[in-house]
Amino acid sequence: MLVESQFNIGHICTRYQCDLGRADKVAMRWISQHMEQTDYTFAELDQQSNRFANVLAGLGFTPGDILFTFLPKMPEQFFAFLGTLKLQVIAGPLFSNFGEEALLDRLGDSKAKGIITKKSFLKKIGRVRDQLPNLRYVIVIDIEEHQSDDILSYSRLMHDASNRFTAPATSADTPSVLHYTSGSTGNPKGVQHVHSSILSQNMTAREILQLSEDDVYWCTADQGWVTGTSYGIIGPWSIGVTQVHFGGGYNAEHWFSILEREKITVWYSAPTALRMLLKEEPELFARCDLSNLRHIFSVGEPLNPEVIHWARRTLNRDIYDTWFQTETGAIMIANRPGIEVRPGSMGKPAPGIEAAIIADDGSPVPDGEQGNLCVKPGWPSMFVTYLNNPEVYGQKFRGGYYYSGDTAYRDADGFFWFMGRSDDVINTAGHLVSPFEVESALLEIPEIAESGVIGAPDELLFEKVVAYIALHDNCEYTPQLELKIRLHVSNKASTIATPQEIFVMDKIPKNKSGKIMRRVLKARYLGTDAGDISTMEEE
Amino acid sequence: MDTMTTLNGIFCEVFDEESLQITRATTADDVDGWDSLSHTNLIVAVEMAFNVRFNLKDTRVLKDVGELVDLIDRKLAEKG
Repeated sequence: MLVESQFNIGHICTRYQCDLGRADKVAMRWISQHMEQTDYTFAELDQQSNRFANVLAGLGFTPGDILFTFLPKMPEQFFAFLGTLKLQVIAGPLFSNFGEEALLDRLGDSKAKGIITKKSFLKKIGRVRDQLPNLRYVIVIDIEEHQSDDILSYSRLMHDASNRFTAPATSADTPSVLHYTSGSTGNPKGVQHVHSSILSQNMTAREILQLSEDDVYWCTADQGWVTGTSYGIIGPWSIGVTQVHFGGGYNAEHWFSILEREKITVWYSAPTALRMLLKEEPELFARCDLSNLRHIFSVGEPLNPEVIHWARRTLNRDIYDTWFQTETGAIMIANRPGIEVRPGSMGKPAPGIEAAIIADDGSPVPDGEQGNLCVKPGWPSMFVTYLNNPEVYGQKFRGGYYYSGDTAYRDADGFFWFMGRSDDVINTAGHLVSPFEVESALLEIPEIAESGVIGAPDELLFEKVVAYIALHDNCEYTPQLELKIRLHVSNKASTIATPQEIFVMDKIPKNKSGKIMRRVLKARYLGTDAGDISTMEEE
Repeated sequence: MDTMTTLNGIFCEVFDEESLQITRATTADDVDGWDSLSHTNLIVAVEMAFNVRFNLKDTRVLKDVGELVDLIDRKLAEKG
């Protein structure tokens, strides 16, 4: 795949595909939310991303600068992402439902130089702009003319830019993609990847997703998350695969219409979406011709056996669950064709990946017993640091292993089985939510004195965000306050962080150092024993 | 104030966009941030503003704003 050690992701996904004779092949079939279709060939993808690379170069961006994309799924997002990488500028994709606090955390920590967005999102950026002294440019895709020296029209810039650009020779260790991920404490951490990640993404797209250049592939993930970049952009285009991208949200009829009409051969989606499909009327599936669909894969959270049984019964196919993380950059453990699917299992490690279950003291855990899910470092898509946080990065590696933060066990046949998180991070609908971020957002509401947030099991979302709050004296919990809480968290942090249940307590349990005892809250929610509470602050 | 006008105000509040203009044909794909989680916020806000209660099935199958308006009007009529 590599030409003279050129690791540049933008180059490999576009120009290199043209050089291989795929210039006129459809790279992206874009389907708008209203089901209108537009095709972009690899040559067009190359030219559009070249233009964007020239736009950034013209604005003075240089290698190592950071540009975020803050857009819903749309063609411009792909052009910008690839063009950014071509110039060796770091591409930071953001989930389009982030609120202003989430933006501030990410843009502020990274000292981003630019962001590309749409007009209706300008307000969110405007509210925090004065706290972002390094943010020089805001490029807006749906304004015709520049609004000022720093709020610029994408179409004007692209119109004036050349469609010719040659990506500089890019070494394996050149920084590439920056995704932020949530931890149980502190602000989100910037997970920095490098251009060599394409080796892992290419290999796993071929070996796990079983993609080859004749496939028509659809990954439903948003580009704000690692699946959306690793397997919604990089892996498939590095193989020259035609990708379908849909601008609409979940809609069972639209989704099955796309699967049928576009003759999708490989489909990569998420358990929450699959569980939503499971609730649809069976006639919807019965009338669809899915004869072209070879494989269905899933990622983001554990896939429950009921969904696999439903797919076997209704779609006459297996669903292959895969496991990876923002930090790993590519699939590490997976079910795939050719290996027996044991419903509920994560599958087996990808080729070249050495996974292990290790105890907290670093000793190996026997098969069948739960421990920390770890991976031997050295795979090409491994993150290289947490931006501005090397200390926490270092803590992830112990005794020659990367500690994923997930717990699991391995059975005697080498299949891995997910058990949960070893920290308090909430996995809701495949997205990690930091309880700390939600607690902080809650404390911005004047009526709330204390907050504690946990993840609780949920049939649809895998886990839901549950908030416990204590109110200031003279404040009353009313339906109006509940709505205020929901909207505040949703609009300041993110829709995915919105508490699905809210409970009022007199006091949030804390230990004697003032740390919220989330395990006590969780036990209270689940009705189980909270265990040792000797360190709990007394009334 | 008619249902649509009140509803427009709710949309502006829920989706934090004061210039939002909805029509009967508006769908979730037309409004930034209208996903399944913010949909719950919307329904809570609508129930509160109109003093009605929906069941889950009613709100899950709504295809566009027009169907939501019709549902609200139906609930208001049932209340008398």
